[in-house]
Amino acid sequence: MSASTEHTVVVSFIGDCGEELFLPVSRGIQRVFGCGVKRMPLLTDVDFALDPNRDQYHSTLILDKLAEAAPEGAAKVLAITAVDLFIPILTHVYGEAQLGGKTCIVSTFRLKEGLSPLSAQDTYQVRLVKEAIHELGHTFNLRHCQDPACIMHYCRSVRDVDRKSDQMCRYCKVLFDDEMKRLAKQASSA
Amino acid sequence: MGNAKILIVDDEKIMRESLAGWLLRDGHDVETAKSGEEALEKLSATRYNILLLDIKMEGISGLDVLKHLKENDPDVAVVMITAYGSISTAIEAMKNGAADYLLKPFDPNELGVLIEKILENQARVLENLYLKEQYKERTRFESMIGQSRAMQEVFDLITDVAPMNSTVLITGETGTGKGLAAKAIHTNSPQSQGPFVVVNCGAIPEHLMESELFGYQKGAFTDAKETKKGRLELAHGGTLFLDEIGEISMRMQIDLLRVLEDRIFYRVGGTQPLEVDFRVIAATNRDLQKAIKNGSFREDLYYRLNVVSFKMPPLRERKEDLPLLAEHFLSRFTQETNKPIDRISRAAMDEIMIYDWPGNVRELENAIERAVVVCKGPKIMPEDLPIFCAEEGARPDTNSLVEIEKAHIAQVLKDNDWNISRSAKILEIDRSTLYNKIKRYKIQKPS
Repeated sequence: MSASTEHTVVVSFIGDCGEELFLPVSRGIQRVFGCGVKRMPLLTDVDFALDPNRDQYHSTLILDKLAEAAPEGAAKVLAITAVDLFIPILTHVYGEAQLGGKTCIVSTFRLKEGLSPLSAQDTYQVRLVKEAIHELGHTFNLRHCQDPACIMHYCRSVRDVDRKSDQMCRYCKVLFDDEMKRLAKQASSA
Repeated sequence: MGNAKILIVDDEKIMRESLAGWLLRDGHDVETAKSGEEALEKLSATRYNILLLDIKMEGISGLDVLKHLKENDPDVAVVMITAYGSISTAIEAMKNGAADYLLKPFDPNELGVLIEKILENQARVLENLYLKEQYKERTRFESMIGQSRAMQEVFDLITDVAPMNSTVLITGETGTGKGLAAKAIHTNSPQSQGPFVVVNCGAIPEHLMESELFGYQKGAFTDAKETKKGRLELAHGGTLFLDEIGEISMRMQIDLLRVLEDRIFYRVGGTQPLEVDFRVIAATNRDLQKAIKNGSFREDLYYRLNVVSFKMPPLRERKEDLPLLAEHFLSRFTQETNKPIDRISRAAMDEIMIYDWPGNVRELENAIERAVVVCKGPKIMPEDLPIFCAEEGARPDTNSLVEIEKAHIAQVLKDNDWNISRSAKILEIDRSTLYNKIKRYKIQKPS
């Protein structure tokens, strides 16, 4: 296992979606999960996942490719893309994650809805950080939380994203700690 | 809103998998079936809250599965999934009992709102059942009876445990009297002058559990017009009895563990810490070790509860107590009904002794209550006992196990006015198993 990537979340931007966002995203990840964060390009494009009939990208296929491309030893991989994502049964998704797995992805496509010109950049950035942490939370086995203020709450709209906090509620913190203990136990017995 | 047990039935793998992944992340317990046939198989073994059912499938269609389910377990909510061209079929399905339909691909919000609506509705039904159960509980027999060795051991344990302040975990089958044992511990404990507060964890809908346990502060939510004390607060200075602890949600397990560790909690919407002192007794008919292994019960909470534990013996393992119990119930119900019945005939008592009483003391209690109601003379006769009476419940001439089972199921259903939940509880099987047995044995509901 590579020492440089162990316990590290790899953040990978796909296409042009504003790499200046790396800093706020990495700070958010460090604050909530306490892991190191590293930026690394993993996929140059996601054309393989394009569904021409829907003009959207199948997020599950992207997650599979990300898992293949993930550097050995990286704890988790978060991809950020500007394209509109879907899974076949649903019209769209803001992001997708492998529950208790390694990879997750967030799309910025729908996060720009309803931005006021005055605070557009700040709000957009906060939304992205929240959604990135939310999807990463799934990879730590956290599911959607009923508490509307919790970062793991499923948001029906960007307004809900704006309303929720950038923190885990106390239940999700306990479940996250449980998961970390489980992972540590698994690593020590391996 | 709480989490649901959901079965997705779709012959397209990609649809099944993407929907299952989405619902799993939403915190639901999800299973999938690739055909109508597989769905029926799963439905016979497991009870789901919601079925997401594709209309068009090879072999047994979605509509056939819906028809089967509505005949056998009408409480399960079915949502039909359909492509644009099949809306008329979906509407037809709604006429046949489907809760709603979704057009593929559907908006994730639409799905979320629909599931929430269904769960709220199911919680309301559960709440009703709980209120009825609470009413029944108030009239329930409150002493423990038994001269058998097994019960003497239980009495000894209660005597030893009661004066201590230790947390007690009582295990045992449904109807064995776990609640009575908890009450007996309380009555003989130093906290006996304090309250004995029961929380039936399996009967309180998840969304009500937090306010039931912790209470709430005025204004904590829309309906919180006044500050209300929760059961933890009410149990202060006494005993908190957590019945059916194995059914408590993961969120509540986290909260409960914290209270048990710190003895401090907050009302919902409250900012002031409240200190409580009570003894905890928990009971379950579930195998908690198994629940820990499959991740549905926290190990730390288990060890916190399992300081002292004992098992209530099933009635079939203490048959020598049957005459005493039967006479006790007879005396109670004759007093309540003012009927001039003075004894149980020898033949009826023989039948009581032969039977295994899978629903334990509660089943016996119900059987004697019914016998008192139907009895015409001064003594209870075998034909007054629900397990042996005429027609579909008649004792079969054959000794075949299947015939005996069929007759017993028919009788339990009859005694409980074909209330499937209650009958399944008495028979100690789940509802879908009961439905399957009704179907297999062709047991007819009287019109």
